[in-house]
Amino acid sequence: MKEIIKVKNLDVGYGDNVVLENLDFHIDRGEITVILGQSGCGKSTVLKSLIGLLPPFAGDIFFWGEKIDYFSEASLQALYKRIGVLYQNSALLNSLTLYENVALPIIMKHPDLPEEIEREMVYTRLSQVGLLENRDKFPAELSGGMRKRAALARAMVLDPDIIFCDEPSAGLDPITAAELDSLMLNLKELFDITFVVVTHELRSIEAIADKAIVLKDGVLYYFGPYRELFSLGDRYINEFFLKPRGAGSL
Amino acid sequence: MEKNLKSLMIPRTFSIENVSALFAEIKDLDTDTPLQIDLKDMEDFDSSGIAFFNYLKKNFPHVSFSNVRPAVQKALDLFAPCGETDGRGHGHRSVGERLTALGGRAFKFEDSLKKFLVLLVDEIYHSFQYLLKRRGVYPGEILNQLYFMAYNSFPIVTLICFLIGITISITSAEQLRSFGADIYLADLVGFGMVRELVPLMTGIILAGKIGASITAEISSMKVLEEVDALKTMGLIPEKFLMVPRLTAITLAVPLLVVLADLVGILGGVIVGWVVSGIPPGVFFREMFTVVELSDFFIGLMKTLVFGWIVVISSGYKGFSVERGAVGVGIATTESVVLSISLIIVSDCVFALFLY
Repeated sequence: MKEIIKVKNLDVGYGDNVVLENLDFHIDRGEITVILGQSGCGKSTVLKSLIGLLPPFAGDIFFWGEKIDYFSEASLQALYKRIGVLYQNSALLNSLTLYENVALPIIMKHPDLPEEIEREMVYTRLSQVGLLENRDKFPAELSGGMRKRAALARAMVLDPDIIFCDEPSAGLDPITAAELDSLMLNLKELFDITFVVVTHELRSIEAIADKAIVLKDGVLYYFGPYRELFSLGDRYINEFFLKPRGAGSL
Repeated sequence: MEKNLKSLMIPRTFSIENVSALFAEIKDLDTDTPLQIDLKDMEDFDSSGIAFFNYLKKNFPHVSFSNVRPAVQKALDLFAPCGETDGRGHGHRSVGERLTALGGRAFKFEDSLKKFLVLLVDEIYHSFQYLLKRRGVYPGEILNQLYFMAYNSFPIVTLICFLIGITISITSAEQLRSFGADIYLADLVGFGMVRELVPLMTGIILAGKIGASITAEISSMKVLEEVDALKTMGLIPEKFLMVPRLTAITLAVPLLVVLADLVGILGGVIVGWVVSGIPPGVFFREMFTVVELSDFFIGLMKTLVFGWIVVISSGYKGFSVERGAVGVGIATTESVVLSISLIIVSDCVFALFLY
């Protein structure tokens, strides 16, 4: 199945406030879909709704053709077995070393797994993100970029099909952000991992996006291939990407 | 009856230096008073002047401005009034509005109480589930917490209880001597420390030391999305974070209580010997005529309940944090207040049932 997430007539928001209405889009396997929009437009709200941290007000979300019941613990647990999340602040547990952080999902979900296997799994992921040498360090001893990479290793350790990333480049210098982008591209190519990335870093979007979801004024403004975004000649899109008015191509 | 028109002439330079004087002139006026503001002389103004005009626009429906020059009008447009009125009308709130506000607070309290009870029930369930299945808690975390709660807390708990023992003995010794009842110091200190003061003081110290730390840690984790990360890893944060702490406090409390009882009574023994001349052997003989093993267990049980109150209250405040770093500070303070209040209330309930 190519289409792994399907969103139909989704309304999302916080408390009593509906932030976004009537969202319709889908995410295809092995692609990187970026969710774009100005600050406060609801990008992270959509992401949180997709991963069950913020139950939607209305509408349906299907993963692999199965409707997710966000009020059912069993439905969420089934979802969490197949996804990984990279948070804006990395969200590594500060009391654990890098190794322990990456091993955490394995230790907690598969406590009977032999330690040797666990170690190999963690070492593989840490070396994929270039942090094997730093495995005994605590998050506080690492740079922002290293913490992000470590969080990505943790998100990947149980082989998820999809990784959701909330502002992965936020707070990183352009070089480190580019390294993280190329890491995501490599993971997509090598392991066919699907990424859903919330960002407004233009260089990052340019580097990684296959599809784009543009949010504006509480609605879905554009959904489709990223490369076709500019052929629309849309004023808002051009302004967002700092392109001269009327520019129709990259 | 129509109110008299009040006119105000704005000075040539209307700034933060003289805005207070003009504000004093209108401060006590009824909001229905018609106001006429003349800006003929005004040449210079700053944002405090604009704020004054906006205040008038928001709070005096019958205000009018005359001789407004284009530059002033532009500034007034640019800094148009925003937000609600300053609440001057609060004194005139209708009964309905007051009842609505009161109802809102009652619902908020009900909501908080509901969340607290849900967490309490959840934790009881998770703790039993952990005892049966031994899953859902990070290996070694209970020992870490035990080290923090027992080993790191015993110096302060013992010091405070020792000093409380001395203080209560000194103040009581003098009174007892005037009745020739010096020997009863042993009963008073023994019974008071074991049944009342050690549990209460230990609970309060735990609230300040451990409770504050639990709230700060969990609320920081929530703010930094670590709690969300645990959830999306398929873990139950309320179990992962709280069960080790509840287990650790359950193991730490008996150790702390034994030590605190010993040093508290030791304080009494020293004062009894030095001030009232009661030899330690006589002190203990007399004390054990009143204090029984059941008193020790009652004290222990009370302290255990206080410890659980501290952990649950702190966890509840930690998990319900909002508004980032500011919220962490507020939640930490509130958790200590909540823990101590609940400890005192439950101590009162214990007193009603146990004496």
